[in-house]
Formats: sequence, C-alpha cells, structure tokens
Amino acid sequence: MDIKNTIARLTAATGVSGCENGATELALSLLKEYAPDAEIDRSGNVTGVIASGRPGAKTLMLDAHIDQIGMIVTAVDKDGFIKVGFCGGADMRIMLAQSVTVHGSEPVRGVVSTLPPHVSSDHSKVPEIGDISIDVGMTKEQAERIIRPGDRVTVNSDFRELCGDVISAPSVDDRSGVCAILAALDMLKTRESAYDLAICFSAQEETGERGVKGATYRLAPDEAIAVDVSFGRTPDSVPHETAELGSGVMIGASAVLDRGMTERLKHTAKCCDIPYTTEVMPSSTGTNADSIAVSRGGVKCCTLSIPIRYMHTPIETVSISDIEATARLICEYAAGGDNNE
Amino acid sequence: MSNITDKLLEICALDGTSGDEGVVREYIRARITADEFFVDNLGNLIVFKKGRKTPKNKIMFAAHMDEVGFMVTDITSEGFLRFGAVGGIDPRVVLGRSLRFKNGTLGVVGTKAVHQQSADERKKAPDFGDMLIDIGASGREQAEKYVQPGDCAVFNADAFCFGDGFIKSKAIDDRAGCLIMMDMINGTPEYDAWYVFTVQEEVGTRGAKAAAFTVQPDIAVVLESTTACDIADTSGDKRVCELGKGCVVSFMDRATIYDRELYQLARKTADSLGIPNQTKTLIAGGNDSGAIHVSAGGVRTCALSVPCRYLHSPSCVIKESDYTATAAFAGAVLSAFAEL
Repeated sequence: MDIKNTIARLTAATGVSGCENGATELALSLLKEYAPDAEIDRSGNVTGVIASGRPGAKTLMLDAHIDQIGMIVTAVDKDGFIKVGFCGGADMRIMLAQSVTVHGSEPVRGVVSTLPPHVSSDHSKVPEIGDISIDVGMTKEQAERIIRPGDRVTVNSDFRELCGDVISAPSVDDRSGVCAILAALDMLKTRESAYDLAICFSAQEETGERGVKGATYRLAPDEAIAVDVSFGRTPDSVPHETAELGSGVMIGASAVLDRGMTERLKHTAKCCDIPYTTEVMPSSTGTNADSIAVSRGGVKCCTLSIPIRYMHTPIETVSISDIEATARLICEYAAGGDNNE
Repeated sequence: MSNITDKLLEICALDGTSGDEGVVREYIRARITADEFFVDNLGNLIVFKKGRKTPKNKIMFAAHMDEVGFMVTDITSEGFLRFGAVGGIDPRVVLGRSLRFKNGTLGVVGTKAVHQQSADERKKAPDFGDMLIDIGASGREQAEKYVQPGDCAVFNADAFCFGDGFIKSKAIDDRAGCLIMMDMINGTPEYDAWYVFTVQEEVGTRGAKAAAFTVQPDIAVVLESTTACDIADTSGDKRVCELGKGCVVSFMDRATIYDRELYQLARKTADSLGIPNQTKTLIAGGNDSGAIHVSAGGVRTCALSVPCRYLHSPSCVIKESDYTATAAFAGAVLSAFAEL
C-alpha cells in the first residue's frame, strides 16, 4: 500500500464530527479490501472484523477516529453572512480571511470575514467564535435556499508535499491513524495474525469520544490499540511534551492504559527495530483509549501516536515515516500475540 | 466562469512580491500590443498606445504589478525560516496558511498546538517575530538547499468564483487594475495614452514615483482595488464602500487629496453613461496617486478602484460587475479628460 497516496485520499475527504459520511464512505471502501463484511454502524463508525482462524483467539481492536474538527452553522444573518459555532476545538487564531466550504444542500465556498489592515488597529486580537461571519457572496434569501443551521463548515486546504517525506494537509488528525491501521492490515496480508482483529474508524472523537463507546460495546475486544496523533516538536514547544517528526511511533504510558501492553509494544518495537519514543500522559490520554478501556467489563488498552505539528489547524504536518513505523508496530504486535510477553 | 474571471484568476495566480515583480511584468509584456514600451531601472513597464485621436492633455494610466508577500530573513538551526512581511499584512491572516516560493518550495506557518497554548496565548495572535515558516526541512543545511535569506514567498491560496458573481483570490490588489490596462491597450482606445505597470506600490509607492517622472503626464488615472468593509456587523460610513455598487471614485485618502474637477467630472461622466459608481466614506489607505500627484511640477490625479473585501489577505474578494464597471469607467474618463 502506498502510504502517501492513501493519506492524500483520506485527507481530501470531508467528515466533520457527527457528519462524517464523506470520510466514512471512503474509509469503508478501503477497509473492505481486508474486511469484506465491514459496515457503517448506527453511530457512524466504520467497523469490520478479520478472523484469525485460530480457535480461542483473543480479539484485538484497532481504533482510529475518522472525524475531523470543523464548525457548524447556527444562523444566516440579515445580510446573508453565516454565523457559526464550534464542532471540535479549532484554533481561533488562524480563522480570519480563511477560505471555507459550507456543506449545505450543495457545497458553498466562502471566506471568513475580516477587516483589512488599512482600517483595523489591534492585530493581536483573536476573535471569539461568535464574532466571526462567513461571506458566501449571497443575500439572506439566496443563502437560505442552500444553507441551514446544523450544516457543517470546513476550512479549505490542500494536501502538500514539503521537504523529504513530510506532508501537510487538513485532517491529518486522525486520518493518519486510519492510514496507519490500513497499512498494518496490508502488511498482515502476508503474515498470520495471532488475534482476531476488530477494526473501528470511529465517529465523534473530537466532540467527546462518543462514537467509539457503542462500537467497543458491540465489538467486545479483549485488547485495544487507539491510534491517534500527538504533538510534534516546534521551536516554541516544550521538548519533553513533544516528539520530533521522523522519530517514529509514540507508545503511550498512562495511569489509564494497560502497563503490560505498553511494555509489550516497546519490546516489540525494540525487537523489530522500529523507531519509537515513549509518550507519557499521567492521568488521561485525551484519546478514544480513555473510553475504550472502561467499556463492558474493561478492556486492556494502549495508545500509539503519530507526531504531527500544528494540530487542529488546516496545515497539520506529518512525516510519512512515522505513519509507516506505526503501521509496522501494529502489524508486528498483532502477529506476535502471546509471544509479545 | 466568464472570460474576465478566467483572465483575472490567471494573472492573480502569478507570484509578484514587491521588488520581485519580474514574472508579472513578463506575463503582461507578452500579452500586449503597443506602439512603444520599455522597462525602466526600477522595473516599471511603461507603455504608449496610440488612439484614434491625439488628446490636448497627456494622459497616464497606472496600476501596480506587485502584491504583498513575505521575505525570509534567517534560517534557524532546526531548519525553520524566520520571515517578515513585504507590505502591510495583518499577521492574523498568515498563521495556519501555506506559502509558496518561486522555485515551487512550499511551506506552512504555524505555532505549537492550541492544546499546548496557555489561556493567554490562545487570546493573543502572534506577530511576525513569533511565527516561522516550516518547509519540512530536518535542519538548516537541508533548508538552505531550497531557500535563502532574501527569497520572497506569496500566499499559496486557492482561488474561485462563489455566490452571486463574486471572485476570491490573492493579489486582486492590483492585478485587477493591470488587467483593465491590458484590455485598454489591446482594444481601440479613442485617444493616445501612456500606461504604466508599476513596481513596489506596497512598500511606499516607489515605482510610481519614477514612472511619473519619466512620463510627466498632465493628468493621471490610477486604477486600483480599494478597501470595502461591507461585512456583517458593520454599518453606515464604516462600510467605506460596498461590493455590487460599482466603481469607487476617491475624493481623498491618506496619501492624496484628489483633483476636485477630475473627481466631479469622473462621477458625472459615469452617471451620464449609466456606469454604477460610488465613493469611499472613510479617509483610509493610499495608492500610487500619492507619489504621482506630487511628481515633477505636479500631476492632476484621479483614482478609480474596484471595491475589494479582505484586502492584503489570501482571500481578496470582489464582485465581477464592479470590475466590469471600473473597466468601462476607465475608457470613459480617457475620453472625458483628453480635451479638458
């Protein structure tokens, strides 16, 4: 599987929390190559099961969230400008003069309004979400024929190749996790899995880990790996809270994660020469892992994270090698089974 | 998309930061047929086009080729690029965007993630000194293979038509004026005139100073894009001018008090021809007129502008009908001013 090509396709799809269908339809078609019975469930998650054929095999759930942050239309004002609220935690510092698409009954392109520097003075002021308006170049009557409260809004941005194997695109959080799982399944085609695999590309992570709750209940795994993105190093960030791009997969350690899995994943990475760093998150992970672990009677759970820069902006930046390292570790862990210990 | 829109989006897509306008100049030169043209020491493209008649007054049109952009000032040991603005740019429209260098190198501008910012940091937008361009380089050595200090970048922004006849692109300021002049030159103007495509407007109307001295016109007409603030929650005179209400004729801005007779004659001419026109309700901004009207022994100057929202951002927005009105208006004032 070509990781760069797959991440380009996944990041071009649209799926704001609670309205993930553009992205889930693509993810479903990609997953069906490995799990022909995969489906979209009632919560909007893409789920599929791949049996190992081994009697009594444990079930390992592989989760990555399919939704992306965006905005949601709350009103059309008297002059046809669109008012919005948050749908996930966007960085408001990047909003002014952004190119956006309102996903109405048809996609409508527009621009986030701003005053030009010629007439504005305080260029350090960050607007509140309620202060911004989207210019769709229409009167109220024209806009209301296509746009309704509840429609989602995304910031337009493209997949771009930077130096080396670094790429920048919207929704790398968490399409790169989805991509890593698909790449792992591709690697497992020529290997034997020790586990029955349950795949979940979950909805509504960004609005409170809501999609994965129902999916974990249905799939009833014994173990789970939540694959998400984490903080890549920028010159203004704290070094011990971030990982360099290109430094490999980040293996989670936290009070809410299974210590045994953390150790086995590290051991596997070492044995297979897969680059990794340890991501320590003392009391919670802020990922689907927090919800998965307390599903039913409890699930042994760990996180694998892909370091990205500029999280929750339209220019999320990632190294392809880190997605590949994550995929390899998932593959080796699934293939190793009890030998991991 | 209309033919006008296609042409406008094409010329706006060219990279021409102030002081680095070569690509735009070559594009224009290759597409005009004139009686005389030359490029001066600063890079202004100066064109003479004969009309059907020779006017009493020597008339010069001007539009600037340059756009606001960025210049690399330093490369950090980690391979990130420090940079500054070329021209007046609100730093808030730079964060979270992609920028493009002339050699095709792409970069993005960001800071640490919103999750890692303190409450105070989230409320305060960073200035240029706090932002870096990330080209994905692993260190200074790799970055230097792609970019050098002094290299210019522009907004790598999308461009499209939307809504009821609106156009969104970077650099509409002032490629719209350039395109109007190109169409005048390639048409059959009634009178002889000079057309100057100027450089370095955004860093202090520097090209126009030299061009006006060279041409020494009696009357100058500056074709521009000007600040429209007709957005939500802005009312009355604070809207400055409005999209859809036609060409903007200025009586005063921060650089020029425009010739009163030309201002009045221009508006009367447009009214009599049914060309939609308006004026600005705020004394703001400035353009090449500021340099031209005090050039040599003084030049009577008039400015005609396409009203434009979100000026100096990657998302300049105009309405096609205002562009069409401004183009028609420019032809009409040539005839009206020729025999004044």
